[in-house]
Amino acid sequence: MALKFLVVDDSVTMRRIVANSLKTIGHDLYVEAGDGREALTKLISDDSINFVITDWNMPEVSGLELVKAIRSNEKFGSIPILMVTTRGLKEDIIEALAAKVNNYVVKPFTPQILKEKIEQIVSSS
Amino acid sequence: MMQSNTSFENIFKKLGDLKDFFVYGQKLIPILHKILNFMHDTVPLLENVNHSIQDSTSKIPKAARQINNITNATEVATTEILDIVDELALDIADMQNKAESLRKKYGNDKDLNTLLATIEKIKDGVINISIPLQVQDITSQQLFAVNHMIQSIQERLGALLVEFKDKDIQDVPDIKFDFPDELSFNANARYEKTNKSQSLADSLVNEKLKKATQSEIDKLFAKS
Repeated sequence: MALKFLVVDDSVTMRRIVANSLKTIGHDLYVEAGDGREALTKLISDDSINFVITDWNMPEVSGLELVKAIRSNEKFGSIPILMVTTRGLKEDIIEALAAKVNNYVVKPFTPQILKEKIEQIVSSS
Repeated sequence: MMQSNTSFENIFKKLGDLKDFFVYGQKLIPILHKILNFMHDTVPLLENVNHSIQDSTSKIPKAARQINNITNATEVATTEILDIVDELALDIADMQNKAESLRKKYGNDKDLNTLLATIEKIKDGVINISIPLQVQDITSQQLFAVNHMIQSIQERLGALLVEFKDKDIQDVPDIKFDFPDELSFNANARYEKTNKSQSLADSLVNEKLKKATQSEIDKLFAKS
């Protein structure tokens, strides 16, 4: 099944870099959201989204809050989530894993790292 | 007779106490003088402090605005670079397709193969441009953190100015700068190419995956 990504980041530049990286590794299907609230709206309205790539630090609803909201939702609670963030401290990573992200990427990343993590998530789910 | 002796003793004792008090007072006068002089000297100092705080507070909005301008300028510049990168990527893909068609038409030519290898190398280079461009997001978070600190300083200086105003030392104008209400940033954001943080994340994810797998095995055994 083709993957359709929801790329969530408040930085336009970062959304574009993630999207470009996805295209580079052969994934052309994606939609974008500027924060957690917009992401939840897109998830509710678009059933074809089957993978979330989210930043952590965002205004309104943060990436971590988004992860918790997704995981507590019956409809899309099991959707794979990859956190892509500048937060590289051990306690941050543990907090994100406790919130049930499937994998974790620390910025700056290469398209290759993104590919590895996506494949790892897809193969284990 | 006995009673009048006791009264005299009391009077002498009180006179002695009074003498001690005057002696103490004489010693205290120069100290009080020094304190008064010190307070006299302190007033202009306090006024200077007041001026400095007022001056610093008035510069804060400008500093904050300049930092915001830097963030916006780097974002615009990064977007422009990404536009160019996208155009280049399209041109390279076009070039690659044309070179592939030529190879199909003329067979496995050595020069064509070299050209295709070079195109592939350029393509990788263009893709890799996006990695250092992520520094824009990282630095903008650092700048947000600086602005947050500036905001705290402004609030504290503002409170001090209000104190001065209440004490009638100097009339103080209201200096305000509206910082965005919702700021979300990572003050520890770093641009590191060492992969140290990524390795840490990988090991923690793997640890968690192993634990999950083990608990799944345990569940299976519990069922059978």
